[in-house]
Amino acid sequence: MEVNGQLALTVLMGLFLVAVAAWLARVENWRSYTPVAGGGAFGQKESYGSEEKPSGVIRWLTTVDHKDIGILYGAYGLTAFAVGGLMVVVMRIELIDPGMSLISNTFYNSLMTSHGITMLFLFGTPIIAAFANYLVPLLIGADDMAFPRINAIAFWLLPPAALLIWAGFFPLPNVIPAQTAWTMYTPLSAGAGAGNQANAGVDLMLLGLHLSGVSATMGSINFIATIFTERGDDVSWANLDIFSWTILTQSGLILFAFPLLGSAMVMLLFDRNFGTTFFAGEGGAILWQHLFWFFGHPEVYILVLPPMGIVSYVIPRFSGRRLFGFKFVVYSTLAIGVLSFGVWAHHMFATGMDPRLRASFMAVSLAIAIPSAVKTFNWITTMWNGRVRLTTPMLFCVGFVSNFIIGGVTGVFLASIPIDLVLHDTYYVVGHFHYIVMGAIAFAGFAGLYYWFPLYTGRMYQKTLGKAHFWLSMIGTNVTFFAMILLGYGGMPRRYATFLPQFATLHQVATVGALLLLIGQIIFVWNFVQSWLEGPEVEDGDPWNLRDSGLYTAEWDWYDKKLETAIADGGETDDAAEPMLTDGGDVDDAADE
Amino acid sequence: MANKIFDRDTLLDLTVNVVPLFIMAFFVVAFAVFSPFGIDPLASSIQFGLLAVPFVLLAILTYFAGKAVAGAELRGEVYLPGQAGVRGAEPLEETEHGEAELDAGTSTAAVEGEADERDAADESAASEEETTDEADAGDTNADDDAETEAADDATDDEAN
Repeated sequence: MEVNGQLALTVLMGLFLVAVAAWLARVENWRSYTPVAGGGAFGQKESYGSEEKPSGVIRWLTTVDHKDIGILYGAYGLTAFAVGGLMVVVMRIELIDPGMSLISNTFYNSLMTSHGITMLFLFGTPIIAAFANYLVPLLIGADDMAFPRINAIAFWLLPPAALLIWAGFFPLPNVIPAQTAWTMYTPLSAGAGAGNQANAGVDLMLLGLHLSGVSATMGSINFIATIFTERGDDVSWANLDIFSWTILTQSGLILFAFPLLGSAMVMLLFDRNFGTTFFAGEGGAILWQHLFWFFGHPEVYILVLPPMGIVSYVIPRFSGRRLFGFKFVVYSTLAIGVLSFGVWAHHMFATGMDPRLRASFMAVSLAIAIPSAVKTFNWITTMWNGRVRLTTPMLFCVGFVSNFIIGGVTGVFLASIPIDLVLHDTYYVVGHFHYIVMGAIAFAGFAGLYYWFPLYTGRMYQKTLGKAHFWLSMIGTNVTFFAMILLGYGGMPRRYATFLPQFATLHQVATVGALLLLIGQIIFVWNFVQSWLEGPEVEDGDPWNLRDSGLYTAEWDWYDKKLETAIADGGETDDAAEPMLTDGGDVDDAADE
Repeated sequence: MANKIFDRDTLLDLTVNVVPLFIMAFFVVAFAVFSPFGIDPLASSIQFGLLAVPFVLLAILTYFAGKAVAGAELRGEVYLPGQAGVRGAEPLEETEHGEAELDAGTSTAAVEGEADERDAADESAASEEETTDEADAGDTNADDDAETEAADDATDDEAN
């Protein structure tokens, strides 16, 4: 009887779920903005979010407008940048002294793990999604993303992901932060041995990381669908802008890379909690490394390609000329996309793998340097003899190119097996990739934030503070990370909370650089917030005088149109000339508002 | 049709991807001729597979990307990237297939050769832009650049 009762309940629940699915499929128009748009919009016309947006916090919690979601991503990314940045400031202060002084070694390991994961997954990917969400639909002439609601879900998975990743830092009983480093190498991350990494904090971190991967994958599917299917009539593959090209390529990489990370992490969670032995037996550790880096190396390009797109987009605007060799940049972006899946084991040269395989990974790693170098020459050639205007976004772009050259050249050396075997696991590697992630990716992010500041705030930032931010960041980056390269040449191993006294001076130099970076970012936050609230309002859609040089683009034209047709709440109307009722009563011509 | 799409200019654009293809092909030959670690059926097949698979995938993607971009140029009007959605945007003049984007200018396009007239215009325009702090940052550079740009006139395409 019990079995029958359970059976009946199961059938009932099944029927209920089918009914819910049928109801959802029937009443919902999944590509609309309004909650029940099946019959809500008249004349078979999709309705626009801006007309129905609620006010206050509810607007931000319920929005499916790509621009609002872009701003949410941006706020999220910058918050994570602050958290990850403050974590590393504590670490750098600890490293002033060779011994264990300010924080414990285990807390240092926790901060280091969390700094890496926060910067890559909670700052890097979301800040790119911020630009992409806001700009891609405007640039390609789409009304919105192809799937606005999936867009919203993808964002709202991120806050819980952050809470899970940082769970160990909260005062939860018996939960400690993960200390696995962002690479989560087994057997440490499998909780084996006498260490403390069998703790639930590591499980929560893995689940949070998984959630952020799901978010990124949903976002990438959305971008691919949007760029393929929602382009305006005149926007063809021949005149698609470079930023959208890089987002398209990046989305392809995410689509192939992140599900693999998700699968590997589920296997690891099973090893930790359900007694499976995917990574426990012979070869288990190397299996994890292969799976991780098959995701991990494309991740590098997931993070760097869109910033390259921003730089390729902004440099011509302040050089008074078109991007030199536009198609070279497009094709080399695609080449990087493909080749990035063929180089993963150059992170594993020191594992003792078969030398024949190592040689092939070295060859492809050298080949992938070509498309990156091509882009660098294109940026330089674009500026060459151009009418260069050294505005803040342009300064950040020039800084990007400069830092990218140092980060890139040091990377080419690491692609060579004999050199890698000497420098592997030293601060040289840390310096190299920070030149890319901080010196290049974050710089391009700042370039974009300043360049489009008038677009998303309607105001202009403070120029002097912007330039102070740039110079402190540029000097800070080079002082910090060049010192790390020298430390690596000296043989200082990475990931250690303590070190031999002979490395003290260079560590102190690196800490001074990190503090310069901190001051620069405080200035940025001040400038950003104050200018958003009180900056001078931009009066037309061409704050950078792009029309003069014929480099005016679609997003600014959209903004110009928005200023011309602005109505009470900053929204748009389908037909601005249509008479409409406002709070003030009847108006004859809404365009006059 | 294929030859029409893959004309000289398109092939020239695609050379950027031919270089990494060449590097991979070079190492395939090098490893076949010179194998210091010997030949092992499994390890050597993976070794060559790791070069061959990216080679083939990159070649395929390059072909389709070139076809899509060059084909779109033939089929429709070509604007400067990012400008197709701008109200009143003028398509680039189709002088010869493929050259439009690299060389040709429109009445508003960025051609360095017009620097002299624009410098004067910029200065008056900049004075009107006081509300935007950054807008006039480039004027000092513009004057310096005028000389070099004037020299460039001779080599610039005067498409308009």
